[in-house]
Amino acid sequence: MSRIVDIDNAERAAEKEEALAAWLRACGRVAIGFSGGVDSAYLAVVARRTLGGENVLAIIGRSASYPAEQWAAARRVADAFDVTVLELDTDEMNDPRYAANPSNRCYFCKSELWGKVVPEATQRGFGTVVDGTNADDVGGHRPGMQAANEHAVASPLAELGFSKSEIRERSRALGLPTWQQPASPCLSSRLPYGTSVTPERLHLVEQAERAVRALGVTGDLRVRYHDDVARVELAPAELTTWLEPRRAESLRAAVVSAGFPRVALDLRGFRSGSLNVLHGVTTA
Amino acid sequence: MSIFTSVGDAESRRRADQLAANLTGMGLPCKVEPRAALAVLLVESGVAARLADGELRRAALALAREQGFTHLAVELAPPGADATLPRP
Repeated sequence: MSRIVDIDNAERAAEKEEALAAWLRACGRVAIGFSGGVDSAYLAVVARRTLGGENVLAIIGRSASYPAEQWAAARRVADAFDVTVLELDTDEMNDPRYAANPSNRCYFCKSELWGKVVPEATQRGFGTVVDGTNADDVGGHRPGMQAANEHAVASPLAELGFSKSEIRERSRALGLPTWQQPASPCLSSRLPYGTSVTPERLHLVEQAERAVRALGVTGDLRVRYHDDVARVELAPAELTTWLEPRRAESLRAAVVSAGFPRVALDLRGFRSGSLNVLHGVTTA
Repeated sequence: MSIFTSVGDAESRRRADQLAANLTGMGLPCKVEPRAALAVLLVESGVAARLADGELRRAALALAREQGFTHLAVELAPPGADATLPRP
């Protein structure tokens, strides 16, 4: 049964990829807001294959909220698939509306990002700017999408109905290393709304996640900042392993070594948008 | 300014104490530190390991939800620490 479902998914995804190629050809030249995550990496590689290297520009917005390891992964994908990359520094950290960390924080971040990316792309002759938003993203709490709309950034993956699983399926087929990469939102998503975003706090969270990764955790992981407490979310299937006393102590020691005084393990495990639930922005 | 100014809120404290009592009654002796909708369990060494049991974990999560907590986490205390004491 599951095999039949997989074949259906693969065929459907392949058909959508043909539609995506046609969509891209109609644009001629595209600039992509590129994070190196599953979605934008897939979009960049399909665009490169469809339009040729001179007609595709992947633009990375860099700031303290963008994990260094994510940047390195983005560069590796771009290098491996010969995608031209441009890096721009973004300055959302100095926007007090962003730093205050309201529930629509992402709007201010994306406003800053697209406010720099779109003019730069236009100046370089890229008339279409796209992002990696997919169909599963639409309808959730995603205030950043409003900023994309205001800057006329297109979302072909969402427009053509690509689900996350279909993007992973086609990424696997194309040989992208990102096909089974966990989702990797910006570091500010680890801070509860209302807790101000500072480079120091983002660095603390990034260091803690790096320390946990060094223990061998490869799946979903978030270290959520709760003042003096780091709340660690692991994939639910990992919880039994990491509650074993010796493993638990290694986990605690790793996070403490990164600078958190206290460490707590979330008993439900990783859930996307966990802090939205905590604040009643979305339901559990 | 942190959002976690409700730690000492009386209603929050009452719900945390009720959750601690319910969990203790279930065989998980603990104290509960409320932080808005997050409940942090403070347990003696060895008790956290019992939560490796998925059934027990699900039961604990259900009790937390009953008291209005959307998130439940167990503090990983250093070896030898008395986890039921408030942390500095």
